[in-house]
Amino acid sequence: MSVQTAAGTTLQIPATSRWRSLVTQESVATLVVSVIVGAAVILPLLVLVISSFRVLDSSGFDTAWGLDNYVTLYTDRVIPKAFVNTLVISAGSTVLATFFGVSLAWINARTNCPGRDRLEPYNLIPFFLSPFVGAIAWHNLAGGKTGLLNSWAHDYFGVQGNLVNVDNIYGVIWVTGLFFAPLVYLFVVGSLRRMDPSLEDSARTTGAGVVRTAMTVTLPLVAPGILSGAIIVFVTSAGEFGVPFKLSAPYGWQTLTTQIFSKAVGDDANLYLGAAMSMALGIITVLLIWIQQRYIAPRSFTTVTGKGFRPNVIDLGGWKWLALAFNVLFLLVAVLLPILCLLVVSLHPVWQAEIIPADLTLHNYVRTLFFWAPDHIAAATNGIYNSFILAFAGATIAMVLSLVVSYMIHRTKGAGARLLDFLCVVPVGFPGIVLAMGVLVTYIRTPIYATLWIILLGYITRFFPYGQRNVSSVMLAISEELDQSSRMAGASWFTTLRRITIPLLKPGIFAGWVLLFIIFLRELSISIILYGPGTETLSVGVYYLTNYENETLTSALSMAQTVVLLVCVFVFRRIAGREALTA
Amino acid sequence: MTAGSMLGAMDNNSASGQYVEVQGLVKLFGNDRAVDNVSFGVAKGKFLTLLGPSGCGKTTTLMSIAGLHTIDAGQIRVGGVVYTAPAQGLFLPPEKRDIGMVFQSYAIWPHMTVAENVAYPLEIRKVERAEIDARVADVLKLVGLGQMADKLATQLSGGQQQRAALARAIVSQPRLLLFDEPLSNLDLKLREQMRVELKRIQHEVGITSIYVTHDQAEALVMSDEIIVMSKGRIQQKGGPREIYARPVNAYVSNFIGVANLLKGRVIAVTAPGRGEVEIAAGGRTAQLACRLGAGIGAGAEAMLSVRPENVEATRQNGGGPDLEGEVIQAIFLGNCIDCRVRWGEFEWKVMAHPRTGLKAGEKVYLRFDPEHTLAVQP
Repeated sequence: MSVQTAAGTTLQIPATSRWRSLVTQESVATLVVSVIVGAAVILPLLVLVISSFRVLDSSGFDTAWGLDNYVTLYTDRVIPKAFVNTLVISAGSTVLATFFGVSLAWINARTNCPGRDRLEPYNLIPFFLSPFVGAIAWHNLAGGKTGLLNSWAHDYFGVQGNLVNVDNIYGVIWVTGLFFAPLVYLFVVGSLRRMDPSLEDSARTTGAGVVRTAMTVTLPLVAPGILSGAIIVFVTSAGEFGVPFKLSAPYGWQTLTTQIFSKAVGDDANLYLGAAMSMALGIITVLLIWIQQRYIAPRSFTTVTGKGFRPNVIDLGGWKWLALAFNVLFLLVAVLLPILCLLVVSLHPVWQAEIIPADLTLHNYVRTLFFWAPDHIAAATNGIYNSFILAFAGATIAMVLSLVVSYMIHRTKGAGARLLDFLCVVPVGFPGIVLAMGVLVTYIRTPIYATLWIILLGYITRFFPYGQRNVSSVMLAISEELDQSSRMAGASWFTTLRRITIPLLKPGIFAGWVLLFIIFLRELSISIILYGPGTETLSVGVYYLTNYENETLTSALSMAQTVVLLVCVFVFRRIAGREALTA
Repeated sequence: MTAGSMLGAMDNNSASGQYVEVQGLVKLFGNDRAVDNVSFGVAKGKFLTLLGPSGCGKTTTLMSIAGLHTIDAGQIRVGGVVYTAPAQGLFLPPEKRDIGMVFQSYAIWPHMTVAENVAYPLEIRKVERAEIDARVADVLKLVGLGQMADKLATQLSGGQQQRAALARAIVSQPRLLLFDEPLSNLDLKLREQMRVELKRIQHEVGITSIYVTHDQAEALVMSDEIIVMSKGRIQQKGGPREIYARPVNAYVSNFIGVANLLKGRVIAVTAPGRGEVEIAAGGRTAQLACRLGAGIGAGAEAMLSVRPENVEATRQNGGGPDLEGEVIQAIFLGNCIDCRVRWGEFEWKVMAHPRTGLKAGEKVYLRFDPEHTLAVQP
């Protein structure tokens, strides 16, 4: 035969193979990454626990060990109420988000609602926008005195007082419920769409009617998805800072997050009390996430088979127009009205709850976006600059970390892999503000305090599991033999990673990167705890404007942020495709 | 001249006369001994098959040789070089072992063309571009993919991916070829064709090969030698004919082909390796002359093993120690009649010649050739 080997082109095998299996590229990299991830995740939480047992004395300088912080949680004038408010808000927005999420998922996946293919992508948009900005928009739409809807109701219909008022705890429920509905939607739509239709058909053949089939087959199959989504919404709402800060806190309804914030940076700052409050919030959320991960997620039937099914579609008859109206209404209140309101308000020099065409100006955009304009507001322009740096660097570093961590979890077996898997779930359980408190108390005496580095650290620690999940799902779909055959072909672990594994994972890596980029661009609850003068982020800029300037400037920067996020979502969908979002 | 002989002087068989030496291999998964003290050798240029049901340890053994698993005890040497020896803390990483491997899923990289896939091992070995191109073209021609070089891997059929995987495994002329059930994802027709093809190519390149399968027909067709494994242990090693004709125990005779297995007792040893065994079923007994397997002596409990084609069924009693039975099922298959013959409580599987024309309900006499009647370990 003609396939001949010139001497010297075969692998040179050392005469004695003294290759300790312990010291390989792979094991060194595993160790290094485990230590980094472990330190990043565990250290802040550990210091947070310790700090919560340090009690500040009356002079405010010295600390001693004690349980006083925890006692204060019960005896304080405000905190117990904040605790109750948090639970009420979480429960309320969970109910609302589940109602919207499940209804919309069902309409889109299983009915003949007209135009559902075209509406589908828009239903997810609130997921990518900032709830804080949503609260600002709704404040201008339906706030007590400044709400556009209220002033119209008064002017055109002669309504006395307020038609609606979102400046209270119900407003918080309304806005968080709307913005987190896509979370439930995502959990449910997959199982509805991928359900084997023969499961329902076989129930029908046994004589069960449509309703009975839905109750005995469809609902139980979807229930774990609904429950998972509901728990995630509950936890996310409990950790949400921006919405209660804007809508309820100024009017007397404090929540745990607004209280933690005031203890961290407010006039009555007491980091140790803030740590204890963070512990209280963190324990609740971790417990719920643990239940979700341990008992509910494994019962989800979404991935029973990899087959593509054409699910049964229910003919709604004339009701399909009602379904369409419902979907359009959701998009109206969750996306369209808030954005239009932001735009309208941002074009006025001052906002007096009425549109004055003669006054329309772009000056608010000049002051918040153009850092060279003489009267620009530094907090806003810094925020834009910093957020882009943080989003770009954060997404890149987090994806590199995600890649290595996913590789270790799925491609190397052993105790280290299981530990890493656990470490990746932990940050998901902690609200951003709690993790940020941990990072703050850990690094407050180090040089990274009040720099962009500490914010970057907080971002990556809290959110890299999102990227990791993106990479992992692709990695699980790729046979391990593809890697192994490269090793057998003579390529080292690193060469295999570079030439085989990473190119195959590219779609997952990119989807994860854009997702993190979007999350970092709108992030508020970590930034608000960790920022310092000069290191404001985009959302901190919005916070600054709403707190110290006026609604019209706030709306301008909010609008700018929203436009950037929408562009990212558009790019994301174009590149990652429709499936990437529902995965 | 086979290309395999061009490898360096270091690659000669070792003192034991074997090119690949596996000694006392132990691999634990938790407390489970997936591979339990397995030792064997492969002579240079030979084709060895590890055969057994899933979970028998065959793939684990192969992965250990490849270096994709570490092992817990034992030693693996190829061409005199120690690949793995945990006792001395030696472990050669898989990429240093110079082994070509064909995986069950073919593992053709979907982001590369066929030619890029096949060129990969040569690029790793820093072969010059012109030589890479020439060798890739040659090897693709050898496996019958000469026209497919620029196709993406995802555009290939299963059989073509299989050929591409083989081309990639042999292109660098490795010291050893490993096959992990490479044909199990192909349909029956293609599988039968590829068996012959694969054997031809292996013979042509002359690279020592170890092949893992659960398909006994595959093992019989392709191998120079077969190792039958069960529960992490070697049951028998031998050539295809030997394994089929002289299984050492009931497990092997049942796993390879079809066998009548009936418990019995050795009542006499008439000559070295020859004797008589007494069998009983449902009140009927018989004494049959047979060959005695290794370790079977007088008085020993043994398993009588007879292949269906070695049982002769006739309507006349030949006067010998024939068994009288009743045909309860006769399925005409063209080249033979697949019969079930009841004798006491036992049903004999018999491959009768079509000329006998046996039908269900008939009375028949079963006759046994002592040469092909075995008493083996239970």
